[in-house]
Amino acid sequence: MTIVAEGSTGTNENRGGPIGLLLVALPVFLVCWLVIWPIISAVMRTLWLTSETGEKRFSTETYQFFFSDPYSLSNLSLTLWTTCVCALLLLLVCLPIALYLRFSTSKVAAYVQGLAIFPMFVPSIILSFAFIRVLGPNGTVDLLLNAASLPKMRSPYLTPWGPVIGLVWDNIPLTVLILLAGLGSVSNQAIEAARDVGAGKLAVLWHIILPRIVNSILVAISFAVLGIFSAFTLPYILGPAAPELIGPFMQRTFRDLYDPINAITQAVITFGFCIVFGLFYVRSVAKNRAP
Amino acid sequence: MNTLVHRRADWTGIIMAVVLTLVIVLPLIVVGTWAFANVWRYPSVIPQEFGLRFWYQTLARADVWTSIGTSLTLSLTVTALSAAICLPAAYAFARMEFPGRNILFFSFLAGHAFPKFGLLVAIAGIFLQLNLIGTFWGVVLIQLVGTLLFMIWIPVAAFQSVDRRMEEAARDVGAGPFRVFWSITLPQAGPTIAAAVLLSFVGTFYETEGAWLIGAPQVRTLPVLMISFINNQPVIQYGAVLSVLLWVPSFIALMFARRVVNSGSFARGFGG
Repeated sequence: MTIVAEGSTGTNENRGGPIGLLLVALPVFLVCWLVIWPIISAVMRTLWLTSETGEKRFSTETYQFFFSDPYSLSNLSLTLWTTCVCALLLLLVCLPIALYLRFSTSKVAAYVQGLAIFPMFVPSIILSFAFIRVLGPNGTVDLLLNAASLPKMRSPYLTPWGPVIGLVWDNIPLTVLILLAGLGSVSNQAIEAARDVGAGKLAVLWHIILPRIVNSILVAISFAVLGIFSAFTLPYILGPAAPELIGPFMQRTFRDLYDPINAITQAVITFGFCIVFGLFYVRSVAKNRAP
Repeated sequence: MNTLVHRRADWTGIIMAVVLTLVIVLPLIVVGTWAFANVWRYPSVIPQEFGLRFWYQTLARADVWTSIGTSLTLSLTVTALSAAICLPAAYAFARMEFPGRNILFFSFLAGHAFPKFGLLVAIAGIFLQLNLIGTFWGVVLIQLVGTLLFMIWIPVAAFQSVDRRMEEAARDVGAGPFRVFWSITLPQAGPTIAAAVLLSFVGTFYETEGAWLIGAPQVRTLPVLMISFINNQPVIQYGAVLSVLLWVPSFIALMFARRVVNSGSFARGFGG
């Protein structure tokens, strides 16, 4: 992407300062107005509350309410549980797939790669519907169990496992792609050298491959956490009504309870929990990409 | 690579292929089957009667057509606006030098550094004061923000990969800057830019969370209608038919995007 070296032919590279600024002004303005300002405003509005008389005063009471309200806390802990379980499952599912794709030369690999990337092209709303038809009550799995004269299973639909299954399914493609890109930097020579001195498969994985892709694993986890922590559609449709994940909880507080200040407080709390992952993600992307 | 893994039959691959087929393809086949099932009652493994009855019924519903109209209008508006403001900006980022270029370029990442729905709620807090909740333009704005990163970063790469020597040559034989852009730059960068435009159209078409938070119930896009079908509609086939209809744009994107997605540069864009 940076093949065109700066200044190699650029006779007019340094021209057009004001014009350049003018051309980028609108999208930059949109980012400032609709990304950066809402975040600053969210923090301000929840810390400087407006009282009935219209005067503003500093107060942390919405945060105190959130962290003392048992229902909010159980939603938060369900969210943390779901995020951790999803991240763990994603690694367990995607690492073997990525390892296989990196080192396989067989024709099956192309098919496996196609399938692993396919969920990217299935919108989560269709996935939710498919999930209910397959794993819901009287769904396909029940039909097959019944046909085999086995008892019905306990459906994960409307339990905490519903969103977990949906979110893992949804996040497989990007996790596999990120891990695969990381595995590209593991050289065959390093592995062959380790093999030559008698290292087994596990030893190669542990001592040669994993240390080289730690960064990719962290990026994949950050990306997944940012997507899963405040996920809305899948938990809203597949998850339990109470306790609920923080995404549906914010939506309900905002739209159904008409309580924007508490909804925004919840949003700021999600920012707080994800800030480390967000910063790490931005740093890794920025390192890989120069304008 | 050949010397590295030398197995008899590729059993690992075959097992993975079978499991992934069951987990990823089967659910979609089930949805497709539901869409063409006139009668499918419980213990039967396949539908008792196939047919198009529910296609006629679904397509006879006024709310379905209203939503299709809303979704298409929204996606086209957002994509057109996004292209109009982002492509000139992308050109500037790729070709011009101006103060703050790097920091402005990376500012588009800001939207992706925060949990998405939390950010949407924060934006909704602003929209509440501006009376944009429940309006068409409120949804347009929130979806427009979602397209900025791709509509700038992908075209920037496209403009940078244009062969500058050809532009120089054209200029040497007397072509004006506009002519150079139109005849040399655009044809080379065009396919990638078209992919970015397509991506942002499809992404907007399926955008559910912003539309649901800001637009519903006044602005009902197809995904929003689909949520209400899943929650309140006892006739399963309506949802199934709508799913098949909904998936068409994605299928088109799939056809176009395969090469882009499979290349390593795509994952690198995500920081891999």
